[in-house]
Amino acid sequence: MGRILPSSVNSIKRYFYIFRSLFISQYALMIEYRAEIVLWALSGILPLIMLTIWKEADISKEFGFNHKWLSSYFISAFIVRQFTAVWVMVIFEKDNIEGKLSPYLLQPINPFWRYYISHIAEQFIRIPFVFIMLLLLFVLEPSFFWSPSLIRIILAIIAIFSAFTLRFLIHWFFSMLCFWTDRASSIERLLMIPYLFLSGLVAPLEAFPPVIRFVALSTPFPYILSFPSKILSGQDVNIINGYLVMFIWMLIFLLLGRVAWKFGLRKYSGMGA
Amino acid sequence: MAIVRVERLSKSYLISEKQPGLAGSLKHLFARTNTSVRAVDNISFEIEAGEIVGFIGSNGAGKTTTLKMLCGLIHPTSGSISVSGYKPIHRKTAFLKNITLVMGQKQQLIWDLPALDSLHVNASVYGISDTDRDERIEELSAMLDLKDELNRPVRKLSLGERMKCELLASLIHRPSILFLDEPTLGLDINAQIRVREFLREYNKKYRSTVILTSHYMGDIKSLCKRIILINNGRIFYDGLLATLTKTYSSSSFISIELTKAVNPVLFKEFGEIIECDELLVRLLVPRSSLKETLFKLLNQMPIKDLEVNDPPTEQIIAKLLRSVSL
Amino acid sequence: MNLRFLSIIGVFWSKSILAEIEYRVNLIVEIFSVIGNLSGSILILSLFYSNGNNLGGWTWNASLTVLGVYTLLEGFTTCILQPNLSRIVSHIQQGTLDFILLKPFNSQLWVSFRIFSPWGLPSVVSGIILISIGIHSSNEVLSFNSFLICFLMLISSILILYSLWFVIASTSIWFVRVWNANEVLRSTLVAGRYPLSAYPDSLRRFFTFIIPIGFLTTVPAQAAMNSVSIGVILASCAFALLLLWISNRFWLFALRFYTSASS
Repeated sequence: MGRILPSSVNSIKRYFYIFRSLFISQYALMIEYRAEIVLWALSGILPLIMLTIWKEADISKEFGFNHKWLSSYFISAFIVRQFTAVWVMVIFEKDNIEGKLSPYLLQPINPFWRYYISHIAEQFIRIPFVFIMLLLLFVLEPSFFWSPSLIRIILAIIAIFSAFTLRFLIHWFFSMLCFWTDRASSIERLLMIPYLFLSGLVAPLEAFPPVIRFVALSTPFPYILSFPSKILSGQDVNIINGYLVMFIWMLIFLLLGRVAWKFGLRKYSGMGA
Repeated sequence: MAIVRVERLSKSYLISEKQPGLAGSLKHLFARTNTSVRAVDNISFEIEAGEIVGFIGSNGAGKTTTLKMLCGLIHPTSGSISVSGYKPIHRKTAFLKNITLVMGQKQQLIWDLPALDSLHVNASVYGISDTDRDERIEELSAMLDLKDELNRPVRKLSLGERMKCELLASLIHRPSILFLDEPTLGLDINAQIRVREFLREYNKKYRSTVILTSHYMGDIKSLCKRIILINNGRIFYDGLLATLTKTYSSSSFISIELTKAVNPVLFKEFGEIIECDELLVRLLVPRSSLKETLFKLLNQMPIKDLEVNDPPTEQIIAKLLRSVSL
Repeated sequence: MNLRFLSIIGVFWSKSILAEIEYRVNLIVEIFSVIGNLSGSILILSLFYSNGNNLGGWTWNASLTVLGVYTLLEGFTTCILQPNLSRIVSHIQQGTLDFILLKPFNSQLWVSFRIFSPWGLPSVVSGIILISIGIHSSNEVLSFNSFLICFLMLISSILILYSLWFVIASTSIWFVRVWNANEVLRSTLVAGRYPLSAYPDSLRRFFTFIIPIGFLTTVPAQAAMNSVSIGVILASCAFALLLLWISNRFWLFALRFYTSASS
């Protein structure tokens, strides 16, 4: 026993160092792409477009959405979407085709972490731009402003990070298709559709007919967007329940991803690439 | 009559310098430091119809820039160009139908399809009728030794086969002026020879004018009678390749075959040792003292056979380039 | 000249379809994505119309027509704009634009219409179906004249979209990664799924003059519903021609900065 303890401490330390250096290098890399990141941030304005429509629509009153409710919900959705951006399928496919994956596989760390950490690094670079966009929004339209409580902000940050991880795990699982087909990134287009319509990005889930709401809630998509948005906007939401379901989904996709990775690698080495 | 006429041609580029990192980018945003670089500096020359002329120079000497100004891709900063009576930069249809550009490191063929499909695209763009097109494809592919390769997807061809298809695609409209930018880049020696032979044959058959740049002296030696040497955007030699060898080589090249091995150090007093391999020695000796050296060699060394030549062109040009860039 | 142009485009497209057909999985993905996107969009649209409400004073059928025009334009984007954009960028990066500039054929037409990707066709077809359903169930009788006007408005909306997109694509002569700028345009155009009057006043002006979403989807739908004024028709045509002219000028201007990547 006495021997195991130090070595496990060492391995934790080792991982810590690996993660730290990976993060620093990925952060430096992402700084190079800052112009693109700003444009990507700008392209996430869909929730704001939907906000203007819902505010004008007569139906909002029937659902009991007042302006304050709508603006805080959609602006939260905008923020959540900014920090849950995942593009791993595209990049994984590219690395696979260009043969960059082989050297990664020779390194003593699962490539998963490289992609995961580069996404996190990108999000850190987004932070100031998202704040500038929000500031601009609130200056143009002061009535949009709301201030969530500190506890809600903390809970929301945790929820956003978990939502990002869940979305990443889902995409990672589907990225494994690259081992079998050379156009796996077109699957991403399909994955985008339920995300768009069922996550609460274009309409609050409350507006859906009960059947469709039930269908949406039995997929992981609302937990990627609607759940963290509601925490942030300060609306009624079953926090414990939401976190629980989110973690179950994360577990499912973590396992699926591991299995797919194992089979994928077998296929990959079988091809002799 | 000259088909290409270039007078006092210059091209300068503005290059903005940027320091790396965020601070560098910010600085770059507000205070740009632009420096003007002269890629081509006041050059003039004329080329007659039917000539094959080689542009030689080290990387960044201005060869490719000149070539691109000649075909109308780049605006000259100053000076005038006339190519078969046209100003290239206007890129008039009649002018474009008269020229072609082949680049060794870039390709125009459609990657996923057989080369034949790209040929059809080009033929339709140049307004060539289907019968003419097929006739020309047949003729050129015979000259290039291409057969089934035309029916295979381009991505499955070897570099040499691809280059041959590129040539075919670039010549389908029978241009009378060919601009070739390193056409044999990366090819193996057999493919290089094949491409050269083809170009020579094409030039003879259609009396086309060929202007090429290349790093391979082999291309130049076997194709060009006339060469233009460029360094730092300036021409410092324009004339026959043979004349260059005569005028610029102040040394002769002696190959000696020995009857028995001799300590190589002993050859040092005769001249510069280029190669020394037991029974085979190559020396570079000043032409002025050639006679005495030969006499001494024959007297002092166990010589079986001896040959005096001009030094290889590569060496003359390399030496020249080195001397002008200093 | 025009006949020659058409025959060349015909050769271009048949060759690119040949190249694309190697990837047949795409067809299945495309069909699924069209079905998914349409049912999602119709679902969201239906939310606004539940309990007898409406969106910006537009009838359900009229809104469906707007969605149809949007889907049609999306198909056009997938067929032509998207695949050619990536080619323009790589032509400029790798310097193979040289070959195109030396061809006796208009370079703008070449780079914008070289590729035709058949995978956008499911979208185009379903867009047309949706427009027809919209017209048919609104009991609107489409006279030949209004059919012509509707067609004209669709053409000018396609020209407007093309010009905007082409100007962005041309900037790749200076900026390497225009993909992202294009993505911003695309994400803003999503607003065109809904009629212009669904937006507040300030945004409506923005969507008319800055990013002309109004002309892209609302006006053709209005034409299909027989409710477009002559002034709007003229404005749309003028706007399309103006943007087309600008896109051409801009391309020629940008080409002056093209130094053709050497080596």
